[in-house]
Amino acid sequence: MTDRRQVALMLAPYLVGVTALVALPALVTFGLAFTEYDLLRSPSFVGLDNFRDLANDDIFGIALKNSLVFAAIAVPLRLAGALGLALLLHRRFTGVGLYRSAGVVPTIVPEIAYGLVWLWLFNPLYGPINLLLRWHGDSPTTTAWGVQPPQWLTHPNDARAAIIIMSLFTIGEGFVILLVTRQGLPAELYELAAIEDATAWGVFRRITLPLMAPILLLLFARDLIFSLQWTFIPALVVTDGGPPPYSTTYVPLFVYRNAFEYLRYGYAASATLLMFVVTALIIWLQWRIVRRWRAGFAVGG
Amino acid sequence: MARPVSGIVLEGVRKRFGDVVALDGIDLDAADEELLVVVGPSGCGKSTLLRCIAGLEAVDEGVIRIGDRDVTQIRPAARNVSMVFQSYALFPHLTVRENIAFGLVVREEPKAEVRARVAEASLLVGVDALLERRPYELSGGERQRVALARALVRRPDAYLLDEPLSNLDAGTRVEMRTELRRLHREVGATMLHVTHDQVEALTLGDRIAVMDAGRVRQVGTPDELYQRPQDRFVAAFLGTPAMNFLSAEAARPFVPVREGTVLGVRAEHVQLVPEGVGARVDIVEVAGSEAFVHLDRGLVAKVPASARPVEGTHVGLAIDQADTHLFDEDSGARIE
Repeated sequence: MTDRRQVALMLAPYLVGVTALVALPALVTFGLAFTEYDLLRSPSFVGLDNFRDLANDDIFGIALKNSLVFAAIAVPLRLAGALGLALLLHRRFTGVGLYRSAGVVPTIVPEIAYGLVWLWLFNPLYGPINLLLRWHGDSPTTTAWGVQPPQWLTHPNDARAAIIIMSLFTIGEGFVILLVTRQGLPAELYELAAIEDATAWGVFRRITLPLMAPILLLLFARDLIFSLQWTFIPALVVTDGGPPPYSTTYVPLFVYRNAFEYLRYGYAASATLLMFVVTALIIWLQWRIVRRWRAGFAVGG
Repeated sequence: MARPVSGIVLEGVRKRFGDVVALDGIDLDAADEELLVVVGPSGCGKSTLLRCIAGLEAVDEGVIRIGDRDVTQIRPAARNVSMVFQSYALFPHLTVRENIAFGLVVREEPKAEVRARVAEASLLVGVDALLERRPYELSGGERQRVALARALVRRPDAYLLDEPLSNLDAGTRVEMRTELRRLHREVGATMLHVTHDQVEALTLGDRIAVMDAGRVRQVGTPDELYQRPQDRFVAAFLGTPAMNFLSAEAARPFVPVREGTVLGVRAEHVQLVPEGVGARVDIVEVAGSEAFVHLDRGLVAKVPASARPVEGTHVGLAIDQADTHLFDEDSGARIE
C-alpha cells in the first residue's frame, strides 16, 4: 500500500464523520436559510425574505445583542481566569494535582447537569450563593452591608450576570493548554529575571505574557466561537430565556425556539447562517489586528 | 572607575537533592579579578555549584562570600552577580538592544544611562551592529556575544558562566574562548567559568578547579594541574589523549616501581626509540601535525606525524622516570 493510500485510509473514518455530521447538515441548513420550511411540508424557496424578516425582528435583535455582550464580557474573563489558574498551579507543590483536577472537572460535567446544579446554586431563596450573601444580614432578605442580594433568575441584569458567572467555571480546556504552555517556557529566562531583580509584575509583563501571547490569541479566537454557542443549555435549563420577555434569549436559543417550537425551520436556518457570518467576521477582524500587532512582535525559534 | 574587591569564597558548602549529594563540602576561593574555571564530568556538581553562588539554589550547609559580604542567605538579585547560561537565555520577543538592557530596565536606571551602557557593552563584544535584530536572526556565536553583553552591562561584582561555549560549533568555540580571555582582561572582574571541556579549562583559566562527585579534587594553575596532578582522577581527566596508567607489573620493564602503585605517563612522554622495550603498533591516528600511536602493553604514544610508525610493525619504547607520576593503587592519591 502506498503512503498516500495509507493516509487516506486512516483519515477516512474522520472524513466520513465530518462530512455526514457537520459538512452536509451545514450545507443543508445554509440551503434552507433561503426557504420557508415547517418540517412537515416540503420547503419552498423564498429568496432573501428570511433575512429581511430577521432585520425587522426585534427579538432577533435582542438575542444577537445578548450574545455579543455575553461574549464581550465572558471571553476576556474566561481567558483571564484560565491564565490566572495556570500561573497559580504550574509549580509543583503538595496537592497541586488535586487543584488542577478541580480546575478541569466543571468542564467535563454534562451540560444539563451543570445547568441544574447552577439552577439550585442561584435560587434566590434557598440557593447557597444568596444564603451566603445574606449571612449576618440586617434582615432575612438583605446582606450584611444592607442591600438586597442579586435576584439571579428574576432580574434581567442579574440573570445575564448569572449566565456569565456560570461560564467562568468551564475554562478547563483553556487552563490545561495555558498550563502546558507555561511549563514549556524555559526556566532560565525566569532564573535570569530573578538574578536581574525583576518584580513579579515585571516578570509577568515582560516575560510570561509576551511569550504566551500567541497561544492566548489562539484561545481568544477559539473561546469566542465557543462563547457564541455555549449559552444554549444555560439559557434553556437555568433561565428559560427570561426573565421575560427575552433577557437571556441568545441566538442559539432563538434558533432552537424558532426551529423546533414554532416550526419555522427556514427562518431558524437563516439566523444560524447570519450568526456564522458574524462569527467569521469577528475572527477575521481579530486576525487582521493580530497580524499587524505581530509585525512588531515576532516570536521566533 | 574604582571597583570593590570581589573575590568569591566558598566554605564547606553542601547541597543535597533528596538522597543525592550534589555538593559534598566545597571549599573554593576565586581571587578578585581571577578567571577560575571549574571543570569536571557531567553530574559532578559544577553547575549546582554555580547556581548556589547565584542564589538559584539554597545551600544546605556552608558559607558563600562575594567580596566581603556573606551572601549565603540573600536573594539572587541582591548578590550582584551576572550569569551567562548554556542556552544563552535570550528573550525571544525582545531585540538585542532590549535583551542587553533588560537588567538595567528592570532596575529602572535612567534612559540615557541605559542607552550609553548598552552601546558600551555591545561594542565591547562586537554586537553593536546587531542591536535591532531579534535572537532568532542571530548565529550561535552572535547569541553568545549578546548574552555576554547582557552580563557585562550591569557591571556586577562577579560573573558566573555556565558552560557558555558548549552549544557552539568547534570553530566558533575556539574563537569565543579567545574572546572570553580578552574580555576578562579588559573588564578585570572575578569570573567563575564552568565547563566539562578540559581543553577549554586548560586554555582559559588563570586557575582550574577539578570537580568529581560533588568534591573539589584539586585547584591550581593549568601548569600545576597538568604537571603535578594530585590524584589519578585529575591525571586522567586533563590532557589529550588521556594519561597512560600501568600497573606495577606492566611498568617494571620501563622503570622500577613498588607493588601497590600505579604508574602514570602522558602520551607525549612515551618515546619511540630504536633500542627499547619491544611493542607492537596496533592503530595509528593522525591528527594534523601529530599522531596518536596505540600500542599493545596498553600504552598510547603521541609523536610528530612525520615520525609515526606503520600499523602492525614492532617498535622500541622508552619512558624517562622524570616524566612519570606514581599513584597509590587503592586511594589513587599521588605518591612523591
